[in-house]
Amino acid sequence: MRGIDELDHYELLEIGRSASATEIDRAYRNAQNIYQEGSLALYSVFDRLDTAAIRERLDEAYRVLADAELRAQYDEYLPSAGERSSARDPRPEVGMPQADPARVAPTTVDSLSGFDPAEQLDSVEQAVEEFDALEDGSGGEYDGVRLRRNRLFRGYEIDDIADVTKVNSSHIRNIEAENFGDLPADVYVRGFVTAYAQTIGLDPKIVVPSYMARVQESRNGQQRGRFLARR
Amino acid sequence: MSSTTGVPRPPSASGESFTASYRSSSANPGTGARLLAIGGGKGGVGKTFVTANLATALARMGKRVVVVDVDLEGANLHTTLGVQTPHRSLADFVSEREEDLGKLLIDTPLPNLRLIAATHGNLADAQPSHLRRVRLLRGLRQLDADVVLLDLGAGSHASVLDYFLVSDDGILVLQPEPTSVENAYTFLRAAFYRRMRLAMVGHGVRQLVTMAMDQRNERGIRTPLDLLREIEATDSAEARRFVETMRVFRPRIIVNGVRTAEDVKLGFAVSSVCKKYFGVEAEYIGYVNYDDEARQSVSARRPIVDLRQDADVSIYLQRIARKLLGLPSAQASAGASGAAPASAGAEAQLGGNR
Repeated sequence: MRGIDELDHYELLEIGRSASATEIDRAYRNAQNIYQEGSLALYSVFDRLDTAAIRERLDEAYRVLADAELRAQYDEYLPSAGERSSARDPRPEVGMPQADPARVAPTTVDSLSGFDPAEQLDSVEQAVEEFDALEDGSGGEYDGVRLRRNRLFRGYEIDDIADVTKVNSSHIRNIEAENFGDLPADVYVRGFVTAYAQTIGLDPKIVVPSYMARVQESRNGQQRGRFLARR
Repeated sequence: MSSTTGVPRPPSASGESFTASYRSSSANPGTGARLLAIGGGKGGVGKTFVTANLATALARMGKRVVVVDVDLEGANLHTTLGVQTPHRSLADFVSEREEDLGKLLIDTPLPNLRLIAATHGNLADAQPSHLRRVRLLRGLRQLDADVVLLDLGAGSHASVLDYFLVSDDGILVLQPEPTSVENAYTFLRAAFYRRMRLAMVGHGVRQLVTMAMDQRNERGIRTPLDLLREIEATDSAEARRFVETMRVFRPRIIVNGVRTAEDVKLGFAVSSVCKKYFGVEAEYIGYVNYDDEARQSVSARRPIVDLRQDADVSIYLQRIARKLLGLPSAQASAGASGAAPASAGAEAQLGGNR
């Protein structure tokens, strides 16, 4: 184990020696995010001075690695990964995912356990993208479930929306649950959904027509039902 | 083991961990259950919720699962699984009324899923003694099951930590809030130092570890790295043991109650901090979204994975369960990457010294 001051630039950014420029940019952005002041993940472990020192090191690492010329110079003086680990430390190099058996091994068991390698949380970007997709997986249409997912994803409670929009929370619940029968006339529903979308940061121009189409469809269906029942 | 996870155990000669050798010498060779401990320091972060649902998901995938409530002071796993307050429980083992853990197994409404509850504990003396705990941990491995999940209590007491340390996988559940993050680190720190103290042989070095556990120690040892430097200066063999133990100490992380993409990122951030602070590989194995429905499932006394398989929360939980099966256990993967010395077995060390 080596201290932060002993990690090389690659280890510090948790990337491999052959990382591309984009990978370096991304790793630096993520690290900045993690080690920014007030970051939740640092709470109670690193104090302000530690964090400032880490950030300084990160900046320096990025300054060198982001510049092709400086990076080449740096690489030249860097002992090879193998040399270093055998010289002093039996531990696999920090920040070299390819050296991590936990990540290598599962590829051999895909067929056996139905394990999907895509489900590995490999990178922040991938996880966030995946999360967005899962939270918003119903294609083009905005139904109640999708609205609710978006609301939760963006961290709003039903009461928050009721407070901001002055729309009764029971209406909001009915919109999400698609209890169309309990909702007032369309003109009101249109207003509610517009306010709802605006509050949680969705574009009403896309959300409202999509949701209202569902309302219409359901109401037409009900009328047909009534008509059939009368016959 | 291979029947449990589909992961062939790495061939290991002298580098076999105690837990592995213990298995092969047990009555049912090769059928030792995989032990997963789920903890997290803080109460209310969803340990029991996660345990009950992962267990359910694994059982639905056809694994023979036993969940054990080791929270003798706040037992409620049985409730989340819809089991009426059981008459048999772990308390019978703790109080030495029952020696055979198999007799404490209770069926749940779910196929493939059985439970050892923690009800009816002796409130005056709920925690098992050290020796009793060692026997318990050995007994758990011999249960006739593919996977045994342990629902740990809150706090960082030795009785909680030992389950975490001896299991094949120790999983930390945390929520995206400062109190939970703080407690998770406290737990990890306590587990880490306890593990290191068990691994050290010499009395002097062991005292050094004990000293480091006090955050205001006189030598000014602040971090695990400071401690390692101190040990290196004293005894290089112990220092090697320290580094080797650190390498096989691989907690996993689950973030529960995720509402935003920032929350999703927290797991990566904690994992990075673990690496830079403890020098420990803590893999982020998944997150579970925040959901009111999940709370309602608790009142329904049925795991949400069973109640509403298609709910978002269930999707997230099932993904983690699949991932757990796909991963080699922390100990197996440590063994695969090189020579894990016999001293790596926390169980042996736990049984051998205190």
